[in-house]
Formats: sequence, C-alpha cells, structure tokens
Amino acid sequence: MRPKASLAVAAALCISLALAACGPNNSSAGGAQNWPRKGKPVELIVSFAPGGAVDTAARLVAPILEKELGTNVEVVNKPGAGGQIGYTALTSAKPDGYTIGATGSPSVVVSPLDKSRGAKYTRDSFQPLGMQVIDPAVVGVAPDSPYNSLQDLIDAAKKTPSKITASTTGIQTGEHFAAVDIEQKTGAKFALVHFSEGASQATAAFLGGHVQVYIGSASDVTDLVKQKKIKLLGVMGEQRSEFLPDTPTFKEQGVDVISATARGYSAPAGLPAEVATKLEAALKKAIEDPAVESKMKALGLQTNYLSADEYKKFWGEQEETVKAVLPLVAKK
Amino acid sequence: MDVVNELLGGFAAALSPQNLLFAFIGCLVGTLIGVLPGIGPVAGVALLIPLTLNLEPTSAIIMLAAIFYGTAYGGTITSVLLNTPGEAASAITTIDGYAMTKKGRAGVALTIAAVGSFVGGVVATIGLVIAARPLGSLGLKIGPPEFFGLMVVGISLLVALAGKSMVRALISGVLGLLIAMVGIDPVAGAPRFTFGSDRLLDGVSFVAVIVGLFGLSEILMTATGGRNHPLTPGMRGLLPTRTDLRRSAPAILRGTGVGFLLGLIPGMTGSVSSLLSYGAERKFSRYRDELGSGAVEGVAGPETANNAHANGALIPLFTLGIPASPTIAVLMGAFLQQGLTPGPTLFTEHSEVAWAIIASLFIGNVILLVLNVPLVRLWTAILRIPEKILTALILLFLVIGSYTINYSVFDVFVMILFGVVGLAMRRLDIPLAPLVLTVVLGPLMERSLRESLDISQGSFTIFLTRPLTVVLLVIGVLIAASPLLRLRKPAALNEDPET
Repeated sequence: MRPKASLAVAAALCISLALAACGPNNSSAGGAQNWPRKGKPVELIVSFAPGGAVDTAARLVAPILEKELGTNVEVVNKPGAGGQIGYTALTSAKPDGYTIGATGSPSVVVSPLDKSRGAKYTRDSFQPLGMQVIDPAVVGVAPDSPYNSLQDLIDAAKKTPSKITASTTGIQTGEHFAAVDIEQKTGAKFALVHFSEGASQATAAFLGGHVQVYIGSASDVTDLVKQKKIKLLGVMGEQRSEFLPDTPTFKEQGVDVISATARGYSAPAGLPAEVATKLEAALKKAIEDPAVESKMKALGLQTNYLSADEYKKFWGEQEETVKAVLPLVAKK
Repeated sequence: MDVVNELLGGFAAALSPQNLLFAFIGCLVGTLIGVLPGIGPVAGVALLIPLTLNLEPTSAIIMLAAIFYGTAYGGTITSVLLNTPGEAASAITTIDGYAMTKKGRAGVALTIAAVGSFVGGVVATIGLVIAARPLGSLGLKIGPPEFFGLMVVGISLLVALAGKSMVRALISGVLGLLIAMVGIDPVAGAPRFTFGSDRLLDGVSFVAVIVGLFGLSEILMTATGGRNHPLTPGMRGLLPTRTDLRRSAPAILRGTGVGFLLGLIPGMTGSVSSLLSYGAERKFSRYRDELGSGAVEGVAGPETANNAHANGALIPLFTLGIPASPTIAVLMGAFLQQGLTPGPTLFTEHSEVAWAIIASLFIGNVILLVLNVPLVRLWTAILRIPEKILTALILLFLVIGSYTINYSVFDVFVMILFGVVGLAMRRLDIPLAPLVLTVVLGPLMERSLRESLDISQGSFTIFLTRPLTVVLLVIGVLIAASPLLRLRKPAALNEDPET
C-alpha cells in the first residue's frame, strides 16, 4: 500500500476509534437533540458535476463526516446553471440537518444578485457551516512578454486601452469580477475574452498565444509555473500563496484588489441550534483532517478552515464586492 | 532509441497480470457504460474514480483510461441494434448502422465498428508516442478564429446530409440551431428562451434530445404503424465480407484522420468528430449515394473517428496538461487525485507511470478488439428478444438514461418531447441528421465566433487576417455552395429511408 493511502486509513481508524469510545454518551432524547437519527442519511448536495474540484473536496470530506456524525453521508450531484440548480435544491430543503450542501463563491453570491437569472433564493436562504478552501486569483503573462510587473501591465493597458487581451473563465466568474475590479481601481482597460467553458479553454488559448494575459485561479497555474510557461505578475490574496511563494500580492504592489474562489459547506437557513453545532464541529474535524488536507494539497488547493461565523462574515464581504462590480459586469 | 526503450519499459509494466486485469475490467465496464444510453463517458469515469483511489496510480489510470475508450466503442452497440445512441458521439452511427440491422447485417456493422475503433485508437496512440510534443503545440495554434472556421466547415456539411430535399434539410438544421440557442448566452450572460425556468439556464441536454429524437421516435413510429418490420432479427453474415472490408478501408482511413486531428484541438468533443466524419463520407465516399440506406462506410467512418478522437485527445493532456474535452477533464481529475500532474512534468517526474499508461493504451485497444468481436454474436442476440419485451426494455433504458444525465426528471420530459418531435419529423419526411449536426456544432460555433470578436474588440477583420482561418472559411463556403455551383449532382436522388 502506498504511504499516502495507509496514512489515510490510519487516520480514519483513529477517528473512528475515538468516536466509538465517546459515541454512546452523547445520546439524549428530543427531536433536534436526537439528530442525526441512526440510519437516516445526511444528503450532501454538490451543485456541480462529478469529478470537479467542488465534488472532489466533498467526496473527501464525506467519509469523515460519516464517522463524526454516526450516519451515512450521501454526496448527491445536482449540476446545472452554474450551481443554481443545486443551490435551489439546497435552500428549498427542510432545515433539519439531513440536507446540507457545498457552496462555492462567487457562484452562490452572484446568482441571487443577478435578477435576470430568476434565482429563488437569496443570501439569507443559506446558513453557512464552515469554509474549507480559498483559491486566490492570479494574473500572468507569457514568459517572453515585455511586462515584468503588474505596474508594467497596468501602464500598458492605460496607454493602449482595450487592446491587451485578457482571458476570464467565463462571464460573471471570479476572474471576470477580478478583472473589472482591477480596471476600476487602476483605470486600465483590457479586452476581456470570456472562455465560457472554463479554465482549460482559457489556458489553451493563453498557451497558444491567442490572448496575452491570463487571469485564473492559483490552483490552475501551479503546474504551468513549474513548466515555466507563464510569468505571474501578482496574486490577489491577502497573503502570498503557499504554492506560489515568489509571486507578490496585488496589495504589495499597491493595487487594492482581493479576489478568490472560496468553497465551504452550508445548510438551508433555520437549522436548530443543536444540529448546527454538531454539524459545524463535524465539518471542522473533517476539513482539518490531515489526510484530507494532504489530498487537497495534492490538488493544488490550500485548506483554509473558517468557522460558521467567520464564513458568514467572509460571504458578506464578498457580496459587497460583487454588488459594487456587478453593474459594470452586467452592462456588456 | 530512448523512446523505444521507455515504451518497452512501459509495456513490461502494463503487461503485469494485475495491470492487464485492470485494463480488461476497464474495457468491459466501459463497453457496458457505453451501451446504457445517457450514462456517457463523463459520468462513467467520474463515478468510478472513488473505486480506484486505493489502487496503484498506474493501475488506476490504466483502468479509467480503458473505461474511457471502452465507452467510445460501447455506444455503437445500441446505436446499431436499437437505433438508440448509447452516448452522444454514436448518434450519427444510427443512420446507417440501424439500416444495416434492418437488412440483417447488424453483425457486420458491429464488427466493422470494432475494427475501425481499433485502427483509429492505435494510430492515434502511435501519434502520441512519436510526435506528441509537436502535435500538442499544433493543437494550440487553433485559436478561437480558427475554431470558428472549422465549425463553418462542419455546418456546411449540412448540404451533404440533405438527401432528397434541401429545404427539408434546412428546416431540420435551423430547428437544431434554435434548440442550441436555449440557455445562458455564453458571452453576455443573458438567459435565452428559458421561459423563466432555471432548468433551462444550461440549455437543453443534448443527450436527452438525441435519445428522444432517435430512440423514442423509433418506438413511436413502430407503435403507430409507420414501420412494417422494425426489428428483423437477422443473424445472417456476422462477419464482414471481403467487399465490406474493401469498402470500409478508405472510410476508416478518413475517420482516423478526422478524429485524430480534431482530438488534438482543445474544446472539441467526440461528437463533432463522428459527425464531421459522416459528413466527409457523404461528400467524398465512392459509395456516397448509398449512405443512409445501410452503407458500411456510414458506420466505419464515424466509429473510427470517435475512437481516434478519444485517444488523440490524450495528447494535449500528456504534453500540455490541458484537458481537451469534458471526459478528459474527468480523467485529469483522476490523475490529480493520484498525486500525478498530467503535462510535460509527468514525463520527467513519473516517467515510468507515463509510459506504462501509454503502453496500456495499445494493450487496451487490442483487448477491446478481442473482447468485442466475439461478443458481437451475444449483442446481436438481443434482437431475438420478443419485440414486445424488447420495446419495454428499450423504453426503460431511455428513461433511466435520460434521468441519469443530471439526475433530474426534467431531462426525461425533454427526451419524451423530442420523441414526439422526432416522430413528427419522420412523418413529414424531414431528415434528423442535420438537426443533430447543428445542435452539436451550433453552440461551439457561437462560442468561438464571440470569443474571436472579444479578441478583436468587435472587428470582423480577425477572420480575414489569419491564413488558416481564411482557408477554412473558403472551404466551408465552397462546400455550402457546391449544390448551387453544380460541382456535382445533389446527393442521393435515389430512395433514402432515413429522410
């Protein structure tokens, strides 16, 4: 057996043993206190297709949640409409703790704000339980590009507005918001090209020289950096990324733009307090599990646990940014 | 020779009993997934990834890759036997494949498809071994404007699919474009034709459309007495004759070329390859006038293209780390979960794994051939099931298949709706193939057009200043205009049962 796999098994065993030892003491009477009822599974809705980053993370977390909660956790994929189908299913489920879901921003933040999408939920329909991952956005150019710093690029984009092409991974994605935010704060103007099929299409167009600037997630470029196929100019995180220690942040370079894709877990609003507490504790255990963390790291994703309250605050902040930028994004 | 040594090392690893077993299981499971309508390669590979997490990385990837190209063959089986495509890329095979079944030549169709798949797969893998790097960067040369040019060539093949009446073909094609318009506008983000339903924001599921259009409408046609003898359980001639083989050879050659080249281009799907290969047969085959009435070329071409595409699409993954299609993206996820990053670094950091996987592609294609030729007899035995039971079974498959696309009942209703649409079209003598062509190519064409215009900031000169784009556009226009210019007589004036 490979070392990684045996580590995972060992970790899982430890947790299950610990749980077996303290399990029976927790039992008490009453509806919410009795949650979860033995044999009644908890459904974890993933609003994206199987195999993607959100799905992978959820499937890594699920087995540990199962052990923590003492009942089955079933990952259910409800993909479609950029997450809207799954988010609708999540928020219209009964808030009894038997339905939770993976929530990713900006998709979960944007969809209710853009009226034309007709989403049946709002920010308040969700009760955040905990955040797992934050993946900051980056800006890069070809290795032989004349631009060597963020300032070079911004100066050029001011001098020749709407001439420098820059990729996004689709309309109203995190990258799109980031690009508009940069334009707004610096006065630069890019020719944005939206690759609606996502990061792989954008990467192909960038590597083929069809767009000059690549705007994407840190997790998508770590390998390109290793291959020396991209020159990163800045990362839009609060701090430098663990995976890209040599890339300065935007803030370091005097551009106040923070942009990141964040993924966490939420329940429909109105969860009984006891259930919420149990779920939050179980999620914290699962997200911070060393085996899960190392698997996530292998995927180029940095685990960054935030408690329910912190996640809620983070969500609110992202909503503010999106609200400010949305009119500019929706116009075109 | 460095490459030869490393490849031989790869063969040594891939031929271990354990890895052989996994390649075999993968091919078998893949074939079964392909047979079930709806569960295409994407869902198939994704759902099986968790089962492979505790395997050795090499074994896990070998099995998943085998599932991936196994589905490319499996989808053929139901297309040929039941007129119900098992997965999207086999939709076009139904036309001549099912016509062959009605002539009692189902065995020949399936055998030729297996041989074609084998040739396409092996040639594409040889390409991967000898010229992966230059071919990988060739694919990158295709930017949005060139992609648009390719799509214009593809859409222009509609004239080749027209059959008796160009007007009817255009009705069908435009209907397909309309269906393709449903959903969120890929560039401006505005919902189109969604009638306020968020179910339609992603557009209409293509698999539900074709499963309804071909599969359900076939059953309805039979039930309403439109077809005399829907399923002739003809077992005659399981093996292709020498004539069949001679006629298939050029089609397999063309299919390999089309599938392999399109497979290199990021963003192209296997359905495009099989459609364009069918179009190429309609345009260039010596027996083009027989196409539609059960010509072996109509099976050999698209099925070869489909598999050449599936294997060719691995080149951008191995050389650049770019998943060229949704299925490859899922496969890439499997690599990552095993701690392997696909791309050039794979060959420097885990070269033994990389070469073992490549060697297993050859082995897998052989297994697929060995597995499927004897199984043809078994598959064709399906046709011996009494018609009443078979019809019920097919209906069951259609419903399950369309449900499992997104695990949503909505898609089942889409399938039923398009079953009725398909019935109407058959009754009105409107061909189905142009609709499939435009449903597949329409969104890709729109996307690449608008990406190009984003790059040029709205100027159409971008299509005139890039040589490859100009060449492609000229070819497209010439094909589209060929009936007017009378470069050759309009196709198939004789009886064409599909129209």
